[in-house]
Amino acid sequence: MLVTDNISCGYGGEMVVRDVSFSVPEGGRLVILGPNGCGKTTLLRALMGILPHSGSVSVDGQGTERLSARERGRLMALMPQMGEISFTYTVMETVLMGRYVHMERNLFASHSARDIQAAEEQLHALGLWDERDRPITKLSGGQLQRVLLARTFAQEPKVILLDEPTNHLDLRYQTELVEELRRWTSMPGRAAVGVFHDLDLALAFADTVLLMDGGRSVYFGPAEGLDLKKLSRVFGMDVPGYMRASRERWERLEEGNGNI
Amino acid sequence: MAIKRGGKYVLLGIFALLSVLLGVGVGSVSLSPAQIITALAGGGEESVRSLVLSFRLPRVALAFLTGAALSVGGCVMQSALNNPLASPFGLGVSAGAGLGATAVMISGVTGALGAFLLPAAGFAGGLLTVLLALALARVFDSRLSGVTVVLTGMVISLFFSAIMDLASAMNPEYAQRIGLWQMGSFSARGWRGPAVLGPVLLVCLGFFMLRARELDILTFGDEQAQAMGVDPRRIKRSLIAVVAVLTGSAVAFSGIIGFIDLVAPHVARRIFGAGHGRSIPAGAVLGGSFMVLCDLASRTIASPREIPVGAVTALLGAPFFLYVFFRGRGR
Repeated sequence: MLVTDNISCGYGGEMVVRDVSFSVPEGGRLVILGPNGCGKTTLLRALMGILPHSGSVSVDGQGTERLSARERGRLMALMPQMGEISFTYTVMETVLMGRYVHMERNLFASHSARDIQAAEEQLHALGLWDERDRPITKLSGGQLQRVLLARTFAQEPKVILLDEPTNHLDLRYQTELVEELRRWTSMPGRAAVGVFHDLDLALAFADTVLLMDGGRSVYFGPAEGLDLKKLSRVFGMDVPGYMRASRERWERLEEGNGNI
Repeated sequence: MAIKRGGKYVLLGIFALLSVLLGVGVGSVSLSPAQIITALAGGGEESVRSLVLSFRLPRVALAFLTGAALSVGGCVMQSALNNPLASPFGLGVSAGAGLGATAVMISGVTGALGAFLLPAAGFAGGLLTVLLALALARVFDSRLSGVTVVLTGMVISLFFSAIMDLASAMNPEYAQRIGLWQMGSFSARGWRGPAVLGPVLLVCLGFFMLRARELDILTFGDEQAQAMGVDPRRIKRSLIAVVAVLTGSAVAFSGIIGFIDLVAPHVARRIFGAGHGRSIPAGAVLGGSFMVLCDLASRTIASPREIPVGAVTALLGAPFFLYVFFRGRGR
């Protein structure tokens, strides 16, 4: 579905990502792991065409280098980390912007029935229907995050790229979002690539892992095959030890509560 | 919002009509709406007809078109640069136009362009300055991010303003004329201004309306725009160039009138929503009507003296802006 070969890119003269290759099959969910500054977000930006890169990217066998932003937007969508919002669009207007790549170009471009339907479906699916006429500047961080996800889904790409989509979300919405992503990806002709900071959520989301260190790929393969020693080395800490300590804390809490 | 969208447009239309009737009717000789309409239809007294058609109406038309042009230019600039504080004047249109006009006044050249020389110089100065600011911004930041463009425009504006002040100080005999031009006025007589600005405004408005969806998307910033299928680099350059043409044309005939370009778009978004399909045309009518009222105030408040319209736009605009923008916020 998504195939990349020897992607390198950076800012100015400085290379941030070097020779990264990976592929995600139809229905696949890849998580990119690595410490801060290892090039995860930069790699996503390159895939989306925001940053120029060397190496090749293709979706469904179609190379993306020569595509216009619009054509690329029909193949791929990126849900970016949330920035500052200063313009007061309503939730519905914002989700409808995801339909831009499918719209006819004409004066007073209006949305087709299909556009409205696609946006409304996503509003329902993400529990935003009652908020549809609210300005996005008045939403909580979690609501806004779901609006951006609804917009990304409404774009109906083949591959979805997610940059820390669970930021700003509370525990319930984090797990619900991961469920939504799994549901979305399970439909034919789709795949997802995500950057997650929370290793637990990352493994709940992904079937495949790309581990990055200093801009290079140090592991690419099934999540089950991830070498925990390597993971610990890359993150510069004892990851399994951290997970054990976390588990023990929860077990103590459970015991204190009569196993709930 | 208690008023439905359709009702808002009706109210906007009434506001525009009232401000035009007031603009044409109020002055040293007051005219009733009936007299104005009769004169427009070609009837009534000759003196009234001449007053309306040759003096009041062209002045109101120029004020309306200028207000509309500045409002539209401001709206597009803010959205394209993803920055609610961006404005065409901030990007150097006003400083460049001022420098161009100053150069013409001081050098005393009069050429084949005749009466069009000063407007042409203002227009050229404004356009060239924006292009210079854009070119410079691209050197620092090939992606033309909002902050770079705004900062570059600001620095160039200040630099050119300083040159203009210097030129004015070294040529005191022209200082007053330069100062007056800088403060803006619609006292230029006749239909010359509206005849040029009207078509320019229509063409530019059409251009922006065709890109209303892209403008909506650009307000989310370059990265999200690219993710939604809009290449920000290409479209921003063309948008800013057209804004420079539009606001440069406006400044050329009436001098520098600040505040409308920054404020009118915010008021329009607040009332009609952020979507550009609505906020651009509504902002044009709103900015135009508001400018007509400001011009009316500028020539009547201290009559028979005229106070600079730029001062009025800020005096009336600032409190109005604060009211509209912060209504319902804070406590």
